[in-house]
Amino acid sequence: MSKWFSPEILLTLAGVGLILVDSLAPERIRRRIPLLALLSSLGILVWSLCPSSRVLPPSWLHLFVSDGLSAVFKPFFLLCLVVVTGMASRYRLAADEMVRGEFLALPFFPTAGLCLLASARDFLAVFVALELVSISLYLLAAFHRAKPASLEAGIKLLVMGGLSTGFLVMGIAWLYAGAGTTEFSKLLLFQAGQEANPAVLVAAGLILAGIGFKVAAVPFHAWAPDVYEGAPTPVTAYLAVASKAAGFILLLRLFGIGAFALESVGVFFRPILLTLGIATVTLGTLAALPQRDLKRLLAYSGIAHAGFMILALGTRGEGGIGTVVAYLWAYLLASLPVLLFINELELLHGSTDMRHLDGMGRREPGPSLGFTLCLLSMAGLPPLVGFPVKLAVLANLWNAGETPALVVAVIMAVAGLGIYLTPIRVMYWEREADAIPAKRFPPFLIWVMLATGLLNVWLGLQPQILVRLAEKSLNPLPATEAIRE
Amino acid sequence: MSLSLTLPAILLIPLIGVVAIALGAKPKATALGASVLNLIPGFLASGVVLRSGELLFGPDPIPAREVFPAKFILGLDGLSLSMLWLTLIVTLAAIGSARKGIKREKEYYICLLLIGLGALGAFLSVDLFYFFSFHEVALIPTFLLVGMWGHGDRSGAAWRMTLYLMLGSMVLLVGLIGLFLAMPETARSLDWRVLSETLKANPLSLGTQHGLAILLLIGFGTLVSLVPFHSWAPGGYASAPAPAAMLHAGVLKKFGLYGLIRVALPMVPDGWKEISWIVGLLLAGNILYLGLASLQQRDFRWLLGFSSAMHMGTVFLGLISGTLLGLAGAVTLMVGHGLSAALGFAVAGEISRRTGTSWMRDLGGLAKRTPQLWFYLVIAAMASIGLPGLANFAGEIMIFFGSWTAHPLLVGVAAWGVVLSAVAMLRAVRAMAFGPMSPAVEAEGVTDLHGLRETWPFALLTLALLLVGVIPLVVYGPARPVLERMVTP
Repeated sequence: MSKWFSPEILLTLAGVGLILVDSLAPERIRRRIPLLALLSSLGILVWSLCPSSRVLPPSWLHLFVSDGLSAVFKPFFLLCLVVVTGMASRYRLAADEMVRGEFLALPFFPTAGLCLLASARDFLAVFVALELVSISLYLLAAFHRAKPASLEAGIKLLVMGGLSTGFLVMGIAWLYAGAGTTEFSKLLLFQAGQEANPAVLVAAGLILAGIGFKVAAVPFHAWAPDVYEGAPTPVTAYLAVASKAAGFILLLRLFGIGAFALESVGVFFRPILLTLGIATVTLGTLAALPQRDLKRLLAYSGIAHAGFMILALGTRGEGGIGTVVAYLWAYLLASLPVLLFINELELLHGSTDMRHLDGMGRREPGPSLGFTLCLLSMAGLPPLVGFPVKLAVLANLWNAGETPALVVAVIMAVAGLGIYLTPIRVMYWEREADAIPAKRFPPFLIWVMLATGLLNVWLGLQPQILVRLAEKSLNPLPATEAIRE
Repeated sequence: MSLSLTLPAILLIPLIGVVAIALGAKPKATALGASVLNLIPGFLASGVVLRSGELLFGPDPIPAREVFPAKFILGLDGLSLSMLWLTLIVTLAAIGSARKGIKREKEYYICLLLIGLGALGAFLSVDLFYFFSFHEVALIPTFLLVGMWGHGDRSGAAWRMTLYLMLGSMVLLVGLIGLFLAMPETARSLDWRVLSETLKANPLSLGTQHGLAILLLIGFGTLVSLVPFHSWAPGGYASAPAPAAMLHAGVLKKFGLYGLIRVALPMVPDGWKEISWIVGLLLAGNILYLGLASLQQRDFRWLLGFSSAMHMGTVFLGLISGTLLGLAGAVTLMVGHGLSAALGFAVAGEISRRTGTSWMRDLGGLAKRTPQLWFYLVIAAMASIGLPGLANFAGEIMIFFGSWTAHPLLVGVAAWGVVLSAVAMLRAVRAMAFGPMSPAVEAEGVTDLHGLRETWPFALLTLALLLVGVIPLVVYGPARPVLERMVTP
């Protein structure tokens, strides 16, 4: 029975249901939509943790697979959805104007798409899932129609998303021409023990470019800062965490454990990945340093994080794959609370400029402490969870003997501390703190920020938990793994 | 009750203090209470170590085949014992010497306790993952302390210090990763006891050892302000508020030296010997270059900053001596320098708080106006010069004797260092003591240290300096078996 209640189906039903309630139900119930959305997303998250939710409907099986990777990442996307729904339910378009119900219903659809993507075993499924994600996100990014920056974000996302889809489709076409299949496992069988087919190489390059847009890797990153800044903050959170992770799942499936990881293709693409990683880390870190707007800062820091993960992926072997999985979870745990904080900051002050943080350490000690811990976790400082994953990236690079990449990663990890210390400095060093109006955060933020900050500390001291998670995501490996090498 | 629980207690007590202050307990009283209370588990743990040589807390290091074998193990042996006590005493004195009337007291004492906690954790950790992590805990409190409560160019100093220390830490981290991955896959461990034993039985190839030793030297060396990675130190200490400078120069900096003794010496011994000529060159830089630079200082806090970085050179000489005597001297000097630097910065902090300046030429006549402060100033200066009877002398003389056969030239350099240090310190003492009373000192409201309430942190550090100076055995006695294992092949 449970096979008809996979999270994807429930998400779609919930999304449609919320829209129906929003347009048909009486005002009394409509006002409860935030609560309904939050409860349904939470319910689906809990359900996705049960093993029986992982059984897929039999008719899906030729396009989708339920394996370790999907089991680890469906809860990831659903957790994002819960947090984003929570943020969205507090979001205001103007001082006293509540958002409409579809702002809460819409995130359910890209989440369904992302869950499908996590399970996809065929490029056709990947394409459909990605389109579902992209189209919903265009709508969400442009949701704040009165604000030109939001519209600009929507358009930019649309154009860049179209371009990325173009690359991807072109790549799939070349792949079909070169290998005669679009299914991952058949592709692996086709490619195993064979010289690299030029068509397959071109395809892999095009697909890499397409995914590069999704994860905002240099040189496909230019959209990210403007879109992050312009989009409503809950949507920024979704883009920064869920959408980026989706790109990495595809990278993992193809370049980590799939056909493009085979020596015949990998020998071409590992250097490319490392180069991309070096460029992405460097540009993201250096461009983040002078930012004064927190959302732009996070956009560039997100680019830098993507670079670290690409570097891990560019090293050979399973260590790199597990590292990316653990890194994504650590990134989620650190950046979602940061975005939640920024959302509240924007609600209070109307913008996300860093000057609003002035004197925050004294006015709001609890949330400031949690914010500080999460930022330091992003900086990769022990004893926070960002540290073991950065350690793993460096260890993989050392193990693979990639000295230039290692040196760049170390330098950028140090420079990266500067990114995250800047808001901390503004919060605690107080220059013109007296000029700040005494607006208070809602009380829930204290507990949420402190709890997530402490979670970051606890996981940083217990890195084994992340290691287990990474091991689980690779277990079972696709059956065809045995034929590698 | 198992006495091994005293080790987590040593870390838990400051942590509870931090939480209590955050929740609204009186900042100074709580911080002080936590530091005093911490002496009890300290005493209990020391008793066990002195009797049986070692105390451990945590899971047994069964070499389970794990991808990432980090385990939270705390341990105390003769070597970490002296570091533990250095930390406990200096933390106590630093918190005791912090005065009323600071802005945002809560955060101030939380940061101080966190620096102490980081140092305690690092010295008690047996697992390299936690060893490294705990040291980093102190990074952000230092940044905030210098930036929020510092003097002069506090912002620049805080940034320089933090990014420099982070860079050193990352190089160190790469070195530790390399060490971990250089082990055969079946023997991988992060426990330094296991690592030392394994690597003693099956040493790494010379090339690997060489590379790792250089990484560890740069990493740890940056944290210890080894020339040319020192430029964060003098300015940083000059700008830091006195208790922060006491804790950092006195305790946290010793983490780098402790790390070299714990990691580099036993795990890559041949590599360390290979690069000892590089270390020799750099430490000569520390002694001569920073010694000469300290002669040029006009500000007492800057002078202390330079002289504190300079004396690290002598400790490095002990580390490359390759003899038990040299190593024992290095450990003794680490303790001595920690105490004397803390005393120096505490006195400097008091002087500038009371007179509003730390420019030496503006402080003439201090001896007449504030005789007690003056007394402790002289003690700090004499300890730093290496007057017999104070801890630094014991350490230095052991290092000189221990290194004579291997590095006679460097011993000569180090002896010149003593001269330079004496000139700089005596000039400072003279400028501040005699001559006509300067307006800053003569000003209304400049008072001496008053009663036991204000003097005890100074007295505590002075007594500790005297104790180690007269009976250096208290430091190197317990450490001896640990060091012996490192020296004998």
